[in-house]
Amino acid sequence: MRRYRWFIVAGLGLVAVLTGFLVANIGADLVYYRTTSEVVDETDPVGKGRFRLGGQVVPGSIAADATGVQFEVTDGVVTLEVDHRGAPQQLFREGIGVVVEGTWDGSTFHSDSMIIKHDEQYRTEDGGVYTPDSRFPSP
Amino acid sequence: MIALVGYAGVLVALASAVALVVQGVRSYLDGGAGAADRLRFPVWGLIGGAVIAMGALELALLTDDFSIEYVARNHARGTPLLFTIASAWAALEGSIVLWGLVLAGYAVWVFRSLEDDDPIGATALAVIGAVAIFFFGLMASAANPFTTLAVVPADGLGANPLLQNHILMAIHPPMLYMGYVGMTVPFAFAIAALAAGDGTTAWLERTRRWALVAWSFLTLGVVLGAWWSYEVLGWGGYWAWDPVENASFLPWLTATAFIHSAVVQRRRGMLQAWNVALVIGTFALTILGTFLTRSGVVASVHSFTQSAVGPALLGFLIVILIGGFGLFAARGHLVASTPRLDSLASREGAFLLNNLLLTLFAFVVLLGTIYPMILEAFTGDRVSVGPPWFDRTAIPIGLVLLFAMGIGPIVPYRAARASVVWHRLRSPLQVTAVVSAAVVLLGLRSVTALLTVALATLVVAAIVRNAHVSAKARPHGYLRSLGGLFRADPGFWGGMIAHTGVALVAVAISFSSSFDTRTEITLSAGESAPFDGYTLTYVAPFAREESNRVVIGAEFELYRGTRHLATLHPRLNQYDNQVQAIPTPAVHTGLREDVYLSLVRIEQGTSAVTIDAMRFPLMWMLWLGGLVVVAGGAWSFTAKRRTRDLRPAEVSGV
Repeated sequence: MRRYRWFIVAGLGLVAVLTGFLVANIGADLVYYRTTSEVVDETDPVGKGRFRLGGQVVPGSIAADATGVQFEVTDGVVTLEVDHRGAPQQLFREGIGVVVEGTWDGSTFHSDSMIIKHDEQYRTEDGGVYTPDSRFPSP
Repeated sequence: MIALVGYAGVLVALASAVALVVQGVRSYLDGGAGAADRLRFPVWGLIGGAVIAMGALELALLTDDFSIEYVARNHARGTPLLFTIASAWAALEGSIVLWGLVLAGYAVWVFRSLEDDDPIGATALAVIGAVAIFFFGLMASAANPFTTLAVVPADGLGANPLLQNHILMAIHPPMLYMGYVGMTVPFAFAIAALAAGDGTTAWLERTRRWALVAWSFLTLGVVLGAWWSYEVLGWGGYWAWDPVENASFLPWLTATAFIHSAVVQRRRGMLQAWNVALVIGTFALTILGTFLTRSGVVASVHSFTQSAVGPALLGFLIVILIGGFGLFAARGHLVASTPRLDSLASREGAFLLNNLLLTLFAFVVLLGTIYPMILEAFTGDRVSVGPPWFDRTAIPIGLVLLFAMGIGPIVPYRAARASVVWHRLRSPLQVTAVVSAAVVLLGLRSVTALLTVALATLVVAAIVRNAHVSAKARPHGYLRSLGGLFRADPGFWGGMIAHTGVALVAVAISFSSSFDTRTEITLSAGESAPFDGYTLTYVAPFAREESNRVVIGAEFELYRGTRHLATLHPRLNQYDNQVQAIPTPAVHTGLREDVYLSLVRIEQGTSAVTIDAMRFPLMWMLWLGGLVVVAGGAWSFTAKRRTRDLRPAEVSGV
């Protein structure tokens, strides 16, 4: 292996420089994901620019106007107001999990992109997980 | 009863895998004598057990045996037959059964290639046995597909809506697994060569066919995955640098690098240690990919549930990395090659460049994929790396790769004289210049797209020139010579076919991502709206009930000018037992571009509908190019023995 020693050292050095360069370059394209509690706890969330906010849509909070829809999301502890531009998706409804992307101004989250959370679990209306037993109780 | 039989199958396969390791190691210690006799029972036990397990799972699904938890969770009485069968690999436990079955199939294939006195083959089978122990061990413990329920429900939950929404679900995972699992075979032979300290190219010659088969299937799996995203997920794209997509792309990149550097080793005896490292790395990446998708550590559109399988896979990955690369470090000098590169300006040099680029590409994608995991582990921040970062880093690498692909095949081995290269490059460059000028005159202004077109043209033109010149040099008629050329050296010309496919894919990706448009349109029934030169007329909403779902949608008429192009039905499918509906986009494929409608919102009462209307130029070229790449891999695979016979009369590289 002696023959290769300098090769390996140089290779590792190159990989380190490359990693540093790539990671330094990643900054603006990182999308942070926060829950409602984390947004409030965060000391300087306004300075973070765009991020994704995840939570459940609070029942009874949805109001629509010409430009979009306003609603509240919650993680069960902290509830925040969301002002969303654009038509909400067909799947958008009360109680559903959403991820909205946009900026936080200290009182309202302004979003322009909405993802309805998909997962492979089967959820009941109140967000619980179906099991075959709960869904189809045997006689 | 079925559960018992299926679990027994798992245990038989597990025991056979253990026997395979024991007997394989004994054969290795004896120098390989009588390997076939020793390994026969373990190999047939492995495939037998795997077939029983898979058969039992299918039977349980087909007979609505809801006493088995897997069936109750992933199947319902109303599920159509095709998706019932496909449900066997639609969820975590079942997909591991498929994995085991494919692995056992490869083990049989390796066994049938065993020679009389074959320590390398026997050791490779022992390595495959060790991998099989892990997967069948998972089935016997953490991911048991045959767990029964104490209380038998009257009906099950049905297959995952995202999966039963499209027929591709039945095809995509098996293809991908044939590729993923197939990478185990070259890995096993590489480990065997290291263990035996065999510095010859024997292991490489033998694994060529498996590597090509696995690579072709993996390519097909990746293309079908992109098609599935496009046709099913409804977000209007085919690639999002999603961790799950990256998981299949990473081993594809390193396997592609291996297929190329293997040629250098076979032809010039170089890069041996590098090949071993690539093969170990590729196998490790398949396990990493499985870990990423099965552990719930990354947020993704279609990752599976969190379970004990995740930590087990992570442990297995660490064992492979430490064991594989540890063995490589300890014994790598035995397989290291002595011939040195004569000149960087040579075919070997081009292969080296291609390997460095593909490895760099893989490294970049790997970094972007696992960076969120690393950051979360250290800071607790949950982040995702946006597609722009991947695009920014991948596009330059991709362009240089295209360039290497254009000149590589025309550069001679050993040392290239500039005059020879120029002679071969002149007419392709002329074609490239004409085509580039033409697309600029037609209005193409994007520098990236222009570069892509130019380089793709260079690639194809150089291949066409090569075929033309070689065919003219042969004695028979031109067309017959051309056919004979392709048959005489399928390895080389299969590669050229694949290169042509990659060139098509590159142009399609560049155009569809640079010139796509997206507009959100809201219409009431009977209204029309202009859309990028088209006219969309919303006819009416519709709703219908099917056996397993309720479908609501909207009917649109698509016109260009006054010409009626298509009637499109973007829709939402609401499955039983599932709160969320799944959108199914409607796509009109044209020669110039696809028109893609995805339903955002539909009010049955007021008849107002909101759709995402999108345009993607040249999408058909992406799917066609992907299939051409697969065809190239398949062509390379054929008639390997004939290549060997014809080696002296080889005509490639003229």
